[in-house]
Amino acid sequence: MKCNRDIMNRIIYGFVFLICCFSCKHGEGKYHGVIEKINAEGENYHGTSISSEKYLDGIDMVEITEGEHTFLIPERKGQIRSYACTECHSKPLSDMHTEGVQKAHWDMKLVHANENAMNCMTCHNPNNMNELKSLTGNDIDFNKSYQLCSQCHSKQFEDWKGGAHGKRIGGWAPPRAAMTCVNCHNPHKPGFESRWPARFNTVTEEERK
Amino acid sequence: MSKKWFSLNFGRNNETPSGSGSCGCGKTSGGCGSHATPDTVDSDGYQMTDEEFAEAAINASIGEETKKDGFDQVFDVKMDRRTAFKKLTASLLIGAGAVSTSCSVVSGDDSKEKAQIDWEEQFKGNYKLMSDDEKSATVDRLMRSYELRTGKNISMSSKNAEEDVLFGYAFNISKCQGYMDCVNACVEENNQDRDSEMQYIRIHEMKDGQGFNFNEADDNYYHEVPAEGHFYMGTQCFHCDNPPCVEVCPVQATWREDDGLVVVDYDWCVGCRYCMAACPYDGRRFNWSKPEVPEAEVNHKQHYLGNRMRKKGVMEKCTFCVQRSRAGKNPACVEACPTGARIFGNLLDPKSTIRWVLENKKVFRLKEDLGTEPKFWYFMD
Repeated sequence: MKCNRDIMNRIIYGFVFLICCFSCKHGEGKYHGVIEKINAEGENYHGTSISSEKYLDGIDMVEITEGEHTFLIPERKGQIRSYACTECHSKPLSDMHTEGVQKAHWDMKLVHANENAMNCMTCHNPNNMNELKSLTGNDIDFNKSYQLCSQCHSKQFEDWKGGAHGKRIGGWAPPRAAMTCVNCHNPHKPGFESRWPARFNTVTEEERK
Repeated sequence: MSKKWFSLNFGRNNETPSGSGSCGCGKTSGGCGSHATPDTVDSDGYQMTDEEFAEAAINASIGEETKKDGFDQVFDVKMDRRTAFKKLTASLLIGAGAVSTSCSVVSGDDSKEKAQIDWEEQFKGNYKLMSDDEKSATVDRLMRSYELRTGKNISMSSKNAEEDVLFGYAFNISKCQGYMDCVNACVEENNQDRDSEMQYIRIHEMKDGQGFNFNEADDNYYHEVPAEGHFYMGTQCFHCDNPPCVEVCPVQATWREDDGLVVVDYDWCVGCRYCMAACPYDGRRFNWSKPEVPEAEVNHKQHYLGNRMRKKGVMEKCTFCVQRSRAGKNPACVEACPTGARIFGNLLDPKSTIRWVLENKKVFRLKEDLGTEPKFWYFMD
């Protein structure tokens, strides 16, 4: 009787051992989830031969470093039609004031925050039109206008630096190039317009009837 | 690099014995099976004998068909008499057609070449099992065949997955405005059938305050967007790391590539639609009719596993634009999105933007509890 129980025990232990060995999906993959896999396989990442450099050909870029992030953004001054501003703004704004004539920037309407928070002078310096102006009166280069936006939109700035906000230029592969704030948002009217969708599936519509 | 299947190495790259160009199929490009000289080296350098390799392949993988390619995969199968007759009749019809064209004195060189290409394409093996030479041979044939049929040139790639790359995608729910520019770009990039208006991407319009209620959501709206009191989210193939669609395929016409893309060999698919039923995300589409794209709108930059022209009765799906992503570009939907709601990149690169999103934003995936491990994350600002 005792002998029998002994054998039974051994068989049970044997089974438990075997189940331990084969229960996990060995051979299905070494990792329990894709996050584990990314962390493990990403540890000895050597870089790839794929590059998106050729897709940036012909685009004028400037390299910026903000915190631990270094990447390219499009050059801005060359894209502004009437830069340098001092070509017209040769004297301080108060001296250029005229009545009864069509104003040069008549088509510009500020739809950005409310009147108490922002007017032209929040960002532009009437005495030096070629540079932007920080809240404390320091000059900001037009090529680095994101520094101006980030004064208020600090959360968006963090996301943009990391890559969660904004859009890539070129492709996913390094070098990293990204649109800067004003490439998507009109600084004087930064909100996105509502519009009609680009497509409507008439077949699905038919099927639903 | 861990492979999920056994690939056949016919030794074409290392020790090609001279005079291997003579076989029954009458072609030199390889892929018929008769050129094969089994000489297999395991990934860790251990030299396996042929018997050992075959044994392992049969046990671990799809059984008999692993050690065969080309003609053998089609002919060397146990079957009953009725099936055999059926198959023979079908093949004889094709063969008779091909032979009559190729031997005919009346038909020109072009139609003979076309018949030859059709013959070789008919009896080629599964793309997943092909060597690089065989892959480029079939791609060459498909390009030539397109040229013969339409007089237009296309470029088709058979670029393999790059090492140290695993593709991932993130979707910002707070940014999507429901403009559907992504859908348009996808249809144009991937040569999808214009008549049936097949679309890989669906944008769901959801009511605020009801969570992800797909039953109440509308994926075919047409009014000014973003609509008051609604938010938008997109779904497409999530390229699961543990894809259920691959498990159920009876002919192994769909598989997961090393860079994480779940792809379909349109020439191997039998159109059973098991994968469509198995996918919990409605990521797969079926060609009920022959896909037609006006010649002027055909995207001529193609990949065998991606946007090349499909035929009637086969499955297709989003491939993260394999023809673009393997060249370093973003998928067409990412590039088209005007709000920057779509982020794509290499999950293995610790400095990539997609990794920053995963590590710094509060991300989640759909139906995470199923264990499918989709490589498509959602997040909010």
